[in-house]
Amino acid sequence: MSLLAVDGLRADVNGKPILKNLSLRVEAGEIHAIMGPNGSGKSTLANVLAGRPGYEVTAGQVSFNDADLVGMAPEARAQAGLFLAFQYPVEIPGVSNMEFLKAAWDSHLAAQGAQPESAVGFMKRARTLAASLGLNPEFLKRGVNEGFSGGEKKRNEILQLLLLEPKLAVLDETDSGLDIDALQTVAAGVNRFRSADNGVLLITHYQRLLNHIVPDQVHVLSEGRIVASGDRHLAEKLEAEGYAWLSE
Amino acid sequence: MAVGVEALQDLEAPPWLDAEGFRRCRQALDGKLARETWKYSPLPKVANALIRADAHRQPPAVALPPEAALHRLDESDAPPLEIDLNRYPLAGIAAARAGAGWLIDVKRTPSHPLRIPAPAPGAVAAPLLVRVAPGCRVELEQEALPRNDGSPMPQPKRGGVAAMPSPAGLRAQVLVLSLAADSEAHWAAAQFTPDVEEWSLLQAHLQRNAALTLNQQCAVGGFLRQDVNVVLGGQGARLASVGAALVRDGGRLDQQLVVEHASRGTVSRIKQHNLAAGRSRCTFNGRIHIHVGAAGADADLSNRNLALDPSAEVNTKPELEIYNDDVRCAHGATVGQLDAEALFYLLSRGLETWQAQRLLSLGFLRDGLAGPFAEPAAEAFAAHFASA
Repeated sequence: MSLLAVDGLRADVNGKPILKNLSLRVEAGEIHAIMGPNGSGKSTLANVLAGRPGYEVTAGQVSFNDADLVGMAPEARAQAGLFLAFQYPVEIPGVSNMEFLKAAWDSHLAAQGAQPESAVGFMKRARTLAASLGLNPEFLKRGVNEGFSGGEKKRNEILQLLLLEPKLAVLDETDSGLDIDALQTVAAGVNRFRSADNGVLLITHYQRLLNHIVPDQVHVLSEGRIVASGDRHLAEKLEAEGYAWLSE
Repeated sequence: MAVGVEALQDLEAPPWLDAEGFRRCRQALDGKLARETWKYSPLPKVANALIRADAHRQPPAVALPPEAALHRLDESDAPPLEIDLNRYPLAGIAAARAGAGWLIDVKRTPSHPLRIPAPAPGAVAAPLLVRVAPGCRVELEQEALPRNDGSPMPQPKRGGVAAMPSPAGLRAQVLVLSLAADSEAHWAAAQFTPDVEEWSLLQAHLQRNAALTLNQQCAVGGFLRQDVNVVLGGQGARLASVGAALVRDGGRLDQQLVVEHASRGTVSRIKQHNLAAGRSRCTFNGRIHIHVGAAGADADLSNRNLALDPSAEVNTKPELEIYNDDVRCAHGATVGQLDAEALFYLLSRGLETWQAQRLLSLGFLRDGLAGPFAEPAAEAFAAHFASA
């Protein structure tokens, strides 16, 4: 049983076909990188997996941990262990980061039939993790992503990833807009998350992130389907030669 | 109109108003401006309730620090109250009912906030003038919060928007702030009384470099009409207003804000977040008036509204009236539902839909909270959603 099994997936956005017969398998313990030119469907894949409204699956199957993902509500997918790190994390003034994180964690525990973690214990864990990601723990008191820089938002995404302990992390261009230091911090967070029990789907434009997070497989997405797969050297080739050679 | 004519004729003019002025005040009840500004609330019913309310002529029960003194307004050296009775005719009626009013004279900065009690239900309080001397700072608070005993906020009766005020229920007050040069005042009001029926006028006059901060927060299950008029009369005078209101099922909120930039370099910043739940009606009218001599005026007004229910009614009207070229003026009003992107973000983290909606609603209201009542107001909002 694969952690994630995508077979013949077709999906539309606003009635326009974006994913066209996409198939992919991610096993527990693996990191897969998805690369591809602009408009190839990378972010669409991430949003389809997370269940974003407006992204309509028209054909194919998506199985997550042996459950049919397509029929699940976004919150059920999250509770089942799927995490999407947003390319553009939303600012929510008036809702403190800590309150949001605790509510999310309690939802996960409730879905597993577990009791909520004590507020004190959770806050301590959140502060420690935040500090380890170079995020000032004071940010936990502020509104969700409110007034955060681009790098801080991405660190906050990784903080959520580490706190919520999902089975599959889908990172949608988490490296975009990061300086070198932030990139290394975020990569360290992903590597810290990595284990034999979970998987990562890493969507990126650039090979530079893969210098810090070594993928097991690299896939190239073009026009809504995977057109090439390989090991980390495929990413290096793409960095050196671009995507044109794939269509030759 | 339906205002009791005989009752009006029986009223005597307040001491600070001559007979002709009071006649015009009574006429204004039926004037074009009153019809416009009371489009969403029934002025005749409120006026009638005011005429029949208990008149509280006694001094306000304020624990005064040594830095402030209380006087009868008509025995003080204060000039007549500056209120535009064409726009606010109810202020004249209130004064005619409850007497000349009272003056709190703040000569030096008090060591603690002045707590102004809210009028009792069914009572019209005598007008209160708070005069702040040059260079002084005063904190003014009015609090009407539910008991903090863990009990949920009482739910209003369902089946319709709140009935209009009855003579037995309406409370009314007129508060005038007079800020001398370089003085500061902070007016913080929390109105969380279930099913309140209230009309109030807050009138403020600011002289050179005076600063006024307003934080008005409320949860309305009955009827609440708030008139606010701030005159930035002196060069460099500043207003900062941040407020939030929850209009519960069956409630009516009507906020009418007029800010007048009457001098050079005056600044106003207004942020009001209102949430209409259930079958409610929520009205906000924010008017910025920049006078001829107010070069360099800088005004920013933002009113955001959330309508949680298809049967909730939201009326918002930002108005600009500018008679000067050298100004910066921005205003915006939005009416909408919960942000879909934010909702998906919370769902993608595993929150149930109802949890996410509650959190976003609370966040929206909290973003309009500031001042000393921000925390209890947030708790009162949370209690509402917990019991909804």
